[in-house]
Amino acid sequence: MKLHLKIKRFNPEHDKKPWWGEYDLDVEPGDRILDALHEVKWTLDGTLALRRSCAHGVCGSDAMRINGRNRLACKCLIKDEIKNGQIVIEPILGMRVLKDMIVDMDPFFAHYRSIMPFLVNDTPLPANGRERLQSPEDRQRFDDSTKCILCACCTTSCPSFWARGEYIGPAAIVQAHRFIFDSRDQAAQERLEILSDVDGVWRCRTAFNCTESCPRDIKVTKTIGEVKEALRTGVIA
Amino acid sequence: MEGLMTIVKEGWRYKGSGNVMWMAHRISGLGIMFFLILHVFGMSMSFFNPALHEIMLETYKTPLFAVGELGLAACLVFHSINGTRIALLELRPEWWLQQKKATQYSLVATVVIGVPMILIMAMASINHFVK
Ligand code: SF4
Ligand code: SF4
Ligand code: FES
Repeated sequence: MKLHLKIKRFNPEHDKKPWWGEYDLDVEPGDRILDALHEVKWTLDGTLALRRSCAHGVCGSDAMRINGRNRLACKCLIKDEIKNGQIVIEPILGMRVLKDMIVDMDPFFAHYRSIMPFLVNDTPLPANGRERLQSPEDRQRFDDSTKCILCACCTTSCPSFWARGEYIGPAAIVQAHRFIFDSRDQAAQERLEILSDVDGVWRCRTAFNCTESCPRDIKVTKTIGEVKEALRTGVIA
Repeated sequence: MEGLMTIVKEGWRYKGSGNVMWMAHRISGLGIMFFLILHVFGMSMSFFNPALHEIMLETYKTPLFAVGELGLAACLVFHSINGTRIALLELRPEWWLQQKKATQYSLVATVVIGVPMILIMAMASINHFVK
């Protein structure tokens, strides 16, 4: 089938503002958007810049706006997205564009690091010297937030984040949730303290764009809601 | 400022259910805030500057303000209903599955309450100005 691909291009080294690159391709309906982008890069215009690594929805590096909403290019099929023979591709919103689809992810990862995304437990290991055990129910409590691949689809779909880039963003809150509700972790209070900052969870206005955009189907807004609840009630349950 | 530009230039056309409601909530909030500031300022002038207060009261009676009043009513109805939806979802994160429906209900409620209210107000204004 024929596909007209419209890609927002920008190279700050010689473009004053973004422009639309338009490409006509022959594709299979079951191809992924990433395949189409590769086709452009490998056969039509080698200057097209994009990030990708695993090509299977695991690494989280190819988040972009596909027909106006955040998606992973490797997880979307052309037949599901094509409208009137066309698909429109833009970089994710609210981050500085370095080139074409590549945005500056440094602030995003700084927010991620700020919530201490690692297990904190200073008590001695169990007598057998092996792992700290946890009941299946305790593990289930934070199961949803372990699925995050830090793709930034959620954070860059969030109107509160567009309005204020200092907002820590849904992805960092999901990551904090993963440890706050882990029965083996001991730094929940510290993380909650960080998240109660002016640019923490309370900047979330419960808009739900993040939940709709998450390629891992994490219930992002619910997760944030649980962190808010923990802050409000002081109970981590 | 940069954030505002992002929203004005691109955010509004993001295809999510949330961003449009987010913007509507903020715009209606600004409308209400504008009224409140004007109101508090106007009332305080009755003490500090009665002459100005009189002028303001007269200005409020002009058709322009009658139209503005309709806008204010629309902002108030939408902002309070949508705000209730948001507050409920904040209090009960586990209701998130109902969020799309909740959005539709708040829009319907805004229309059901807002439209008759605005019609009644508009009729009253028209009667007043035509007489
Ligand atoms: S629910 Fe919160 S974090 Fe998610 S998009 Fe809305 S405001 Fe942003
Ligand atoms: S929560 Fe979902 S959308 Fe957000 S970074 Fe993680 S995987 Fe991506
Ligand atoms: S390339 Fe790894 S998630 Fe798409």
